[in-house]
Amino acid sequence: MARKMEPRRKSLSGKWQYIWPMWLTLLLHVLAIFLFTRGFLLTRNELPYYSNCADISQSPCLFSSDHLNRTTNSSNGSCWTKPAITRLVIIVLDALRFDFVAPSSFFPEAKPWMDKLQVLKMVSSRNGSSARIFKAFADPPTTSLQRLKGLTTGGLPTFVDVGNSFGAPAIVEDNLIHQLVQNGKKVLMMGDDTWTQLFPHHFERSYPYPSFNVKDLDTVDNGCIDHLIPSLYEEDWDVLISHFLGVDHAGHIFGVDSNPMIEKLKQYNNILERVIEELESQSGPGGLHENTMLIVMGDHGQTLNGDHGGGGAEEVETAVFAMNFRKPASSIPPEFDSSTCRLDMDGNNVCISSMQQLDFAATISALIGIPFPYGSIGRINPELYALGARRWGLGASRELSESHVWMQNYANVLCVNSWQVKRYIDVYSASSAVGFSSDDLSRIASTYAQAESHWLHSTRKLLLDSKSGSDAILPTLKGQIDEYFNFLATVAELARLKWTEFDLKLMISGILILFVSIIFQILAILRGMPLAGASGIFSISTLAYVLLAIRACSFLSNSYILEEGKVANFLLATSGIVMLRYAVVKEKLLAESLGFLLLCMFCQFSIEVGLTKQAATSAFMKEHTSWILNITSGFPVWEYVAEVVPMLILILLAFLLYKATNRSSFKWPWKYTIRSTILSYMLILVHWIPDCNSIGFVLVPESIGRNYIPRIIYGISLGQLLLVSFGGLFEDSYLDCKKNLIIKTMAMLSAWSPTVILLAGKQGPLIAFASIIGGYCILRMGNTEGGAKGRPSSSSAIDPFRVMQWSLFAVSLFFCSGHWCAFDGLRYGAAFVGFEEFVLVRQAILLTIDTFGFSIILPVLGLPFLVATMKQANQTKDFIYMQLSQAYIMYGLSTAITTTFAILCVTIQRRHLMVWGLFAPKFVFDVVGLVLTDIFTCWASLYYFDQVKDDQ
Amino acid sequence: MWKTTATKASAIDGSSSISTSEAFTVQLLCGFGLAFALWVAKNICSIHLVTDPSNTLLLIWIIELPIVILLYSRYRRNRKHCTYLRAVGRGFVALPVGAAINFLGAIALGAPVTIQYLPKTVNWSLMMSLFTTVPASSVLGSSWADWRRIFAQTKPNGSVEYLICLPAHGAIIGGWFGAWPMPLDWERPWQEWPISVSYGAITGYLVAMVLSLGFALAHNRSYLPKRD
Repeated sequence: MARKMEPRRKSLSGKWQYIWPMWLTLLLHVLAIFLFTRGFLLTRNELPYYSNCADISQSPCLFSSDHLNRTTNSSNGSCWTKPAITRLVIIVLDALRFDFVAPSSFFPEAKPWMDKLQVLKMVSSRNGSSARIFKAFADPPTTSLQRLKGLTTGGLPTFVDVGNSFGAPAIVEDNLIHQLVQNGKKVLMMGDDTWTQLFPHHFERSYPYPSFNVKDLDTVDNGCIDHLIPSLYEEDWDVLISHFLGVDHAGHIFGVDSNPMIEKLKQYNNILERVIEELESQSGPGGLHENTMLIVMGDHGQTLNGDHGGGGAEEVETAVFAMNFRKPASSIPPEFDSSTCRLDMDGNNVCISSMQQLDFAATISALIGIPFPYGSIGRINPELYALGARRWGLGASRELSESHVWMQNYANVLCVNSWQVKRYIDVYSASSAVGFSSDDLSRIASTYAQAESHWLHSTRKLLLDSKSGSDAILPTLKGQIDEYFNFLATVAELARLKWTEFDLKLMISGILILFVSIIFQILAILRGMPLAGASGIFSISTLAYVLLAIRACSFLSNSYILEEGKVANFLLATSGIVMLRYAVVKEKLLAESLGFLLLCMFCQFSIEVGLTKQAATSAFMKEHTSWILNITSGFPVWEYVAEVVPMLILILLAFLLYKATNRSSFKWPWKYTIRSTILSYMLILVHWIPDCNSIGFVLVPESIGRNYIPRIIYGISLGQLLLVSFGGLFEDSYLDCKKNLIIKTMAMLSAWSPTVILLAGKQGPLIAFASIIGGYCILRMGNTEGGAKGRPSSSSAIDPFRVMQWSLFAVSLFFCSGHWCAFDGLRYGAAFVGFEEFVLVRQAILLTIDTFGFSIILPVLGLPFLVATMKQANQTKDFIYMQLSQAYIMYGLSTAITTTFAILCVTIQRRHLMVWGLFAPKFVFDVVGLVLTDIFTCWASLYYFDQVKDDQ
Repeated sequence: MWKTTATKASAIDGSSSISTSEAFTVQLLCGFGLAFALWVAKNICSIHLVTDPSNTLLLIWIIELPIVILLYSRYRRNRKHCTYLRAVGRGFVALPVGAAINFLGAIALGAPVTIQYLPKTVNWSLMMSLFTTVPASSVLGSSWADWRRIFAQTKPNGSVEYLICLPAHGAIIGGWFGAWPMPLDWERPWQEWPISVSYGAITGYLVAMVLSLGFALAHNRSYLPKRD
């Protein structure tokens, strides 16, 4: 290895011989993460377009107004398709497994939870009824929110639906509910309050009930029951949605095979019986429910343990029961009938068809006669559509058979369907950066072109030419329908491939590249010199590796990810205790060690406060009440203290900086950089004082202070960074390398600190102070270790334990500053310090600085302190730079290893219940953190490493 | 009775070394004390570490306290200047001091700081103090060098020091590992602070007691021929 490296080192000149591994690491990481993300984080853009009634004129299909003489009156409110039903009752039973609905004779073995929803089976097997049970296939992620979104938009929601709603869950994409409201239908909603979150302004009336408490099996259901039956007598709605949650909650708490579950199912059976009875009794001619359809459906299934979210068969298989209360149309042509029939226990013949949930939005839109949602890629399901098919049979007074008329109509509806899907695919590909590949697009285009030409050249003419005989038209219609099926199936297949299936090959190749980068980093650390502390298995550097290993392995469990801050602090405190032991042995720096432990306690407090905040927004966390919050909310004195203390500490920080500059002989660029930081601190103070109610005087006019002061601070910081970057030109020749390094580091840190503190808000100075103390303790304690060997080590390299401590402390600071690895953990307010309006890049940069300021930017840029404060005999530039490069690679390695484990975990758990709630956000944060660490390392490498002119 | 054995022991051995059988007795009594405390908690007070950690820990340290102090004070250092009673007194003083150290350590490592956990944490630290500092203080007194040698360097010297050093380390390391299952979402009652940590500490303590017996035995073996 060393021999291989030798020519390379010679060939690289100047500083590049030290820093090339960091740049190569950055490249490897970016490549690996790019590949993995392409495979894992499926993204879809939401389009801001909405379907309109008038759009239909652009389609090649026969729409209502020119539907010739077959239509009795064109003013019946029809839009894209002729309405088949006027009212619709949708009862959603959350987490309805397919085997709750289907008779047990469909399964190899009867289980206690089967055959409980008897009424659905009875009704669908009754002679002459137009009711049908469908086995419905949901698409993952099978969580209620994503499923409701999928059901109403007719699309395939992904984890990252890039759209206008940043944070709020409301659906802005075109959807079924929007179309209903747009076309004058009134929607009534009761049950799960997720609906009102998704559609805040759409409902005519709504009775939402909180879905938050999983242990509560009845509140939502009872609320539904209270309002459902009375509503059936009312006329002021067209679509009624009732969402029951009990089965989902019973599954989560007790599992499927449990008494509460069976009780719930029996309760539902009773309710459904009553609903069907009520509807039937009013379904006579002229009755309230003459043209009403009832749909009972699940949004997703669940496993026997009650889990859902992934793509397992039990989770995606759910049921749809649809019933029309008029006497049935004749059965649809057998080639479109996908049902399988079996005798159930009572000897009734029960038929079950199958459908995709994807098709739901399009089919319902077609039945009600409203435009299909713009982003729908579903196909109109022939069997579900046929349930409402009676209506148009009346218009045709010809001798054509009913199934024939149905086919004519269905072909036309499919034409509209295909045209709409094609329009969406075209617009999507044109407007989004990562659309479909050109191969796929041309395949879609060619299937569509084929179907369309067939339509234009033969079918359309035949349909318009009503005189043609039925024998001639039937095969043409069949061929036409098959072609549209083919097109829609192609689109659905490609869309699923793109939006629901992880690309394992890409993911694994990303992981492999990460492993290669780790091996490369290890070799790069070992290239120059052997590691320190290789003396024995119980040496302190072994502990560093053990801590790193524990932290990395903890990411394999969701519980440890949830409490990552506490885990990091636990390990940090452990390292602190070990340092204390060493300090006791050496009998020096006891104060520093104890101070470090006290600091761990402080971190512990603030992490707990952070967890309280998290508990308020996250459903995963249990309630913690922290005494800090209790106290501050209880007494005004504490509020006063809480406002004044940060300012005092900020003044203290400024004073420390001032003393530091006064004492040593700095060259002017560094000196002015640090001095202007003090100015920035004072400006922050001025910025904060108006916030402070208890001080109560206004120093600057409100309007100026709010925006201009932060901008001035950003400006000063930018200026400092420029000054510092070009400060290298005024190279000090008489200062030795270490001193130079310390001054440069200080200048760099002080250039960044005002921005970071300002964005962090009132807690900023506290955390800055804590990080100074922590950093100082780590530096000092490192020297204990150096002295432990008795001789100032001349050959030994940087101690991994200190680097590990440094990085653990940085991780702790991330959690101390009130962040956690979830998108609701981002402090969006920080993005608007100094700016009112939203500009994506600018606000993203501010948010990044706020999120990673204390945990990545400052620690990485401050890392040279570790090297510069080490006592050793060898003071040559070459040696110090080698150590610095080693320290940076080691720091990068510890980040890379933990990130790799987080990524491995995401890969293993990609079908886990909480993959979208927990693992994916963690993955995003870690990956961003890793890339930022690499970028700042590279930047630091350019800045800190000077040209080595000659070998000293 | 205690006094006579103590003088007999010191007559045989000037330094703080004890015979194997005595070491065995000491450890057995400590172990029995622990078992007795748990038995009392379960059968007489009908409480359990899981159901009422605070009172159970209280019971454990109150029952174990006289046993540990009385036993270990017999092997005090520097017999000439230090009476048995003084060693006992040292043990009692060490109890709150050690508890304070353990308390701070637990908080630093992440023990909850809410008021409702305070009695549990206090009782837990008193128990830990009994495992760690009380025997050491009875035997060593305030000799900083000895404390440092045993707790910071882990270099026990002589069989008594093995009996002090190893169980103390065992209790702390056991408690450290005992904290591991706490964040897991198994929703078991024993995952609460300080139950699993107490279990870990007690387990570590007992295991290390057995180990320390082995070390003391080995030490005595190598020491005996020289004495002859």
